[in-house]
Amino acid sequence: MSAPLLEVRDLAKSFESGGGLLGRRSGARLQAVRGVSFDLAPGETLGLVGESGCGKTTVARMVVGLIAPSDGRIVFDGVETASAGHVDRAAMRGKVQIVFQDPYTSLNPRLRVAEIIAEPLLNLGVSRQEAQRRVAELMATVGLQPEHMSRFPHAFSGGQRQRIGIARALAPRPRLIVCDEAVSALDVSIQAQILNLLADIQRDFALTLLFISHNLAVVRHLCHRIAVMYLGQIVELAGETQLFEAPLHPYTQALIAAVPEPDPDWAPAVAELAGDLPDPSNPPAGCAFHARCPRAQEDCRQVMPVLRELAPGHHVRCHYPG
Amino acid sequence: MTISAGEEPVEPVAAPALWSARQDFWFRFRHNRNAVIGALLVGFVLAVALTARIFAPYSFSDTSLIDSWTPPSAEHWLGTDSLGRDILSRIMVGCQVSLLLAVTVLAVTLAIGTALGTAAAYLGGWLDTAVMRTADIIFAFPDLILAILLTAVLGSGIVTVMIALSLVSWPGIARLARSLVLSLRTELFVDAAVVAGTPAYKIMLRHLLPNIVAPLIIRASVGVGFVVTGEATLSFLGIGIQEPTPSLGGMIRDGLVALRTDPYLALSASAALAVMIIGFNLLGDGFRDLLDPRIRDR
Amino acid sequence: MTSDAMLAVEGLDVSFGQLRGRIKVLDGVSFAIAPGEVLGLVGESGSGKSVTALALMALLGEQGRIDAGQILFEGRDLAGLSPAEMLQIRGRAISMIFQEPTTSLNPVLPVGFQIAEVLIAHLGMGRTEALRQAASLMKQVGIPAAAERVGDYPHQMSGGMRQRVMIAMAIACRPRLLIADEPTTALDVTMQAQILRLIKELQTREGMAVLMITHDLGVIARVAHRVAVMYAGQIVESGPVRDIFRQPRHPYTRMLLRSIPRVGRRQTRLRAIAGTTPSAAAMPSACRFHPRCPDAIAICRSQAPALETTEDRQVRCWRADDSGLISQEAG
Repeated sequence: MSAPLLEVRDLAKSFESGGGLLGRRSGARLQAVRGVSFDLAPGETLGLVGESGCGKTTVARMVVGLIAPSDGRIVFDGVETASAGHVDRAAMRGKVQIVFQDPYTSLNPRLRVAEIIAEPLLNLGVSRQEAQRRVAELMATVGLQPEHMSRFPHAFSGGQRQRIGIARALAPRPRLIVCDEAVSALDVSIQAQILNLLADIQRDFALTLLFISHNLAVVRHLCHRIAVMYLGQIVELAGETQLFEAPLHPYTQALIAAVPEPDPDWAPAVAELAGDLPDPSNPPAGCAFHARCPRAQEDCRQVMPVLRELAPGHHVRCHYPG
Repeated sequence: MTISAGEEPVEPVAAPALWSARQDFWFRFRHNRNAVIGALLVGFVLAVALTARIFAPYSFSDTSLIDSWTPPSAEHWLGTDSLGRDILSRIMVGCQVSLLLAVTVLAVTLAIGTALGTAAAYLGGWLDTAVMRTADIIFAFPDLILAILLTAVLGSGIVTVMIALSLVSWPGIARLARSLVLSLRTELFVDAAVVAGTPAYKIMLRHLLPNIVAPLIIRASVGVGFVVTGEATLSFLGIGIQEPTPSLGGMIRDGLVALRTDPYLALSASAALAVMIIGFNLLGDGFRDLLDPRIRDR
Repeated sequence: MTSDAMLAVEGLDVSFGQLRGRIKVLDGVSFAIAPGEVLGLVGESGSGKSVTALALMALLGEQGRIDAGQILFEGRDLAGLSPAEMLQIRGRAISMIFQEPTTSLNPVLPVGFQIAEVLIAHLGMGRTEALRQAASLMKQVGIPAAAERVGDYPHQMSGGMRQRVMIAMAIACRPRLLIADEPTTALDVTMQAQILRLIKELQTREGMAVLMITHDLGVIARVAHRVAVMYAGQIVESGPVRDIFRQPRHPYTRMLLRSIPRVGRRQTRLRAIAGTTPSAAAMPSACRFHPRCPDAIAICRSQAPALETTEDRQVRCWRADDSGLISQEAG
């Protein structure tokens, strides 16, 4: 068993909202991430799935070093890269990259595609000539024509821009790529192209992927293991087959059942979830899910369940799983 | 090659390439009334300013007391002033001086204001507080009082005028740059640059600056008008540009005295000033129409 | 089309004006909706599905224009109505809900008032009566504690709640046709399930016809009786939902179905459609799908296929009746 490439331990992040000149009384503390822990093995694709406000994007941004955690640690390839209030970007340089959701705002409209893709390389001290050669190579890898490297982003379609973003992420030969809703803004037919591309580059470059998405079908297709998040916590973590064939947490079950399959004869497996996502600045006591849970009992309202391994590789945070 | 079998490399689908971006801009420029008139006026003033010392019929300092206060004639198209100097020549050189001063001041304030505003917005913290509070203090002072105070300290003259006008103009630009960068720094491509390992100064230079240029250009075009007016005011008060160098403001002051009997000096100097300011303002309005992305959407 | 159709769109052509000339965005769009039926209009971006909805409601704006065709609603051609006449129909006989509930609601007015506004404007109700009815409508669309929340502002509500408010506004006057333009795309999937159920319930109870516009084939499968597939400004296939999903006859429909990942089953590799949707200004000649179609033959490149009708299905393809096609191969 090789050492994990990425270790995330008790990661937490709170944001202060409001506040301002008149004092802190109006500032509410928003706990976006409340104690997330997981490992990523080299060559694996881990999916982080959940609905809005679950904290998955915040986790992604901490892994990549864009924001510092409020608590917890992140260890990448044996080196601690983040801890409470600190981020060590130098340790991650070139080894951890990210592909963003929006192909229209993730590329600087004023720069040529060649400059965009070469940026990480130039930061690492690669010569201009070598960078240009590498840009051509990368563009071919992602399915773009290298001759177009001197064009601006607006000349490309959404799917092509996402390919540019992927090329940029690949440039410094990273070991880990975080995909933050990388296909969510794309048309269905383009989405398939990009998913195939991601699968290919993972195989060809021995990459490890942390794949953030709200789309369960996409996550099932691409990931080996999946973590389901709800209100800043992981509520279930399991291998792909286990999670979809035998989900144990009621939220996971409801989530899977809620996805409409393109099949007129399909019907949801469980009754749909009532109610709304709770307010992240005011999380419920006890289990975060109890208000909407069909199985909630008295202890669910009082005591927060911990993440326990109920079967090999299958972790659930629930008092009454199954 | 990682492209899966059966999928060819995709062609970039360029926007309908009927016209290039440059042709498009030129087309819209031609059809924007403000821009065209403004450009014509500014062009005219620029032409005059650039060629002033070449084409001016007389030297601006040639006095001839016999010929003082002559009305427009074949020898002096706009007449002469109290010292017999040719008004036309003085106006031409006056334009040159005004424009040169305005451009210099604008260049300085754009550079300083943009740099400080961008750094304040992107780096935040104590720098932001320091820059913004300084700007607030300068804003609190009436521009003119500040300029006069400076003159008292540094003495009158063209250099003082430049310093004074630069001092009162940079906060406005800094504030604009700061608000633009504040909204820009949360864009995903800036995050991408951070993850790519780009140092802060490079992010400001390559990613932020080029994307805030457009509104700054608009601000600059309109700003020229303010600087020109400011200089004219100071010269009018006698503490700006000193004789014998002609200045439009000074000429208006001289001309006011004789307004009833020999109005040509005051009138022509005022007209020249007006043309310059209106021209730049219209050009600025035109740029705003052209560069505003919402109006651009067909 | 069928004479008892509530809405019959025939040969609709829409173009948008630009400084350099008009661009045709919809080409010969034809479909019909029977009373009480849910028709799904499915397509990706650039297919023209949203423009179709806007054309129906005469909301194309200054730049848009209907160049040809008819929009027969209960016998009247909507394309020929004056703005005043259209005002009578909009919100009353035909209603619409949009994708972004955040921007479709006025942020400075309480939601109850916005719903009441519709009742006052169209049914001439008094203020008090309208507000009471608004509370009742909010209850019908599943907003908990509706009576207390009449005075809430949009920002005090979640996305799902706001969408319910939009639906309440849309059904307030009991329209005969509801146009829903990507109503659940901006919502979380668990909320989407609730909203789709709500729409289905309202539809069955009120006997309302629904035009459901979406890019999500799963949503279509869940709520629609019939579906029309759009590509590049044209309808390329239409028919009953079950038939289209089981036996699609157009290569685009087939390949689209094959390119979607499923929650129920992991696929080894998705069969993606190569290339991208053509832009309205640079449409391919003849069949608009031919550059991306693995089954394209000579005639596809030279002659545009027409929409052919067989029984209750329509398809726009030269090879619709062929077998052994690449696009038919198992995924």
